[in-house]
Amino acid sequence: MHGAKTTHRLSLLLLALVLVFLYGPLLHPLLVALSQTGQVGPGMTFTLDWFGTMFSGRLVGPALVNSLIAAGIAGVITPILAVLGAMAVREFKPKRLIVLIMILPLFIPAVTMGLASALLLRMLGIPASLLTIVVIHIVWALPFAFLIVLTVMSGFNAVYLEAAYMSGANRWRAFRDVELPLIWPGVSGAALFSAIISFNETIRTTLVQGANNTIQTYIWSQFLQVGLSQQLFALMASLILLTVGLVVVMIALSLRRTD
Amino acid sequence: MRRVLYLTPIVFMVVFAICPILIMVAISFWTRAGFSVVPAFVFDAYGEFFGGARTAVLTRSILTALLATALCLVVAYPVAYLLARRSRPGFVRVVLLLFTIPFLVNYIIRNFSWAYLLGRTGPINETLLALGLVGAPVDWLLFSTFSVYIGLVSSYMPFMVFPLWLVLAGIDQRLIDASSLLGATPLQTFLRVTLPLSLPGVFAAVIFGLVGILGESAVSLILGGAGYELMGNTIMSATNVLNYPLAAAMSTVTVGLMVLLLVVWYRVADIRTFLGQIMGRG
Repeated sequence: MHGAKTTHRLSLLLLALVLVFLYGPLLHPLLVALSQTGQVGPGMTFTLDWFGTMFSGRLVGPALVNSLIAAGIAGVITPILAVLGAMAVREFKPKRLIVLIMILPLFIPAVTMGLASALLLRMLGIPASLLTIVVIHIVWALPFAFLIVLTVMSGFNAVYLEAAYMSGANRWRAFRDVELPLIWPGVSGAALFSAIISFNETIRTTLVQGANNTIQTYIWSQFLQVGLSQQLFALMASLILLTVGLVVVMIALSLRRTD
Repeated sequence: MRRVLYLTPIVFMVVFAICPILIMVAISFWTRAGFSVVPAFVFDAYGEFFGGARTAVLTRSILTALLATALCLVVAYPVAYLLARRSRPGFVRVVLLLFTIPFLVNYIIRNFSWAYLLGRTGPINETLLALGLVGAPVDWLLFSTFSVYIGLVSSYMPFMVFPLWLVLAGIDQRLIDASSLLGATPLQTFLRVTLPLSLPGVFAAVIFGLVGILGESAVSLILGGAGYELMGNTIMSATNVLNYPLAAAMSTVTVGLMVLLLVVWYRVADIRTFLGQIMGRG
């Protein structure tokens, strides 16, 4: 038994180390943004000034608006497509092929997906716009949303649908009144997940955005052109905090499911 | 009508994910004329790719992808195992949440942080100096192969935990119990029962790591220092000078490797065993 206990402690230690490795980089932008001089460490002077001036750049406002619109649209369209895709898996064969098509974007590198989409737009003569940004965000978010919805739908017992049909409900009524309420936590989780993914995308977006910017591609272009300023760190810290907040909301929604 | 509705997401993927890739493959065989491309069927772009110094980038990318993916697996597998086989549900939920946050926060921002943490005046060097372990700041921490691997592992490892956890959590506990009842030691049970049954998830995680890292551009740009290139950077530079056939040819090679891996996965591993839990009796 002594050996088992040691193994258990070692595995918890490993877990703790991995979490430190993952969370260190999340903490750092916040500390830099709070620091008067950019120096981080014992004895640093704290300030909120950088958060006050982070929107002062001419391009920041429009970029943030674009990001919020894109995340909003992706957060609505993606879960709908995900539910329909999960229905397709239930309805059609071969199921494996449908799943593979739905999760394919997970296996395409960001630069390649961006380049391929940009080439398609060029061929069709479609100008880059917020719409093209939204589409590439949905393509990237849909596999995740699909897997989340597929997971909750597999836990749904088809007997409830049979009961609805026998009570005289048609397909749509049975879905709307019986199945949807039961899978709703998963659908809303997929919606938030999609919005968060859209909000945090950079590389794919840079290739299809044209003259537009999202907040993430704005930070990226600033890094490439002039380097990172204190204001940018404040911006990044805010984006991290917003993402953490959204994940917490997402988890809170999923907890309601089990209650 | 209903069935048409169900088909929309599949059509969406075909139009916006598969079509772009097919067009890109086609353009890799076209020729350049000034700033535009002309339909053709020539291998000029591939000649330019494989004939020049870019082959070195491809080799480096493949080696980096293999090693970094292996490192990700070494970290992610024990974590997933711990969560799937040895932990209480409440604990699992909290830890999965803790892995979701860094996975969702833009990995570019996380790599900016590494550039600072690993720098000459960063906290890691400061600590080493303060402890007297080194006499001068360690230079190879940043803008080196080391820093690129740190960035790649922190970018791709959180994602790999999920498919591994999914497949490990799906293994029937009775098989594990049977193995130990038949006299196998925990190690033997792991090597002969758990590990083989988890391979579909391992394969999914590995494919994701490999293709992502093969086409990576941001990590190498932020942490690799001047001149350090992976395939993603080379594709980006070709795109920036509007050499679309070359950029398309290099991307096609990347996608080709991916398709090869996916075909093997589809044939050998059977997605159903990986997604067994969530695909029901399909």
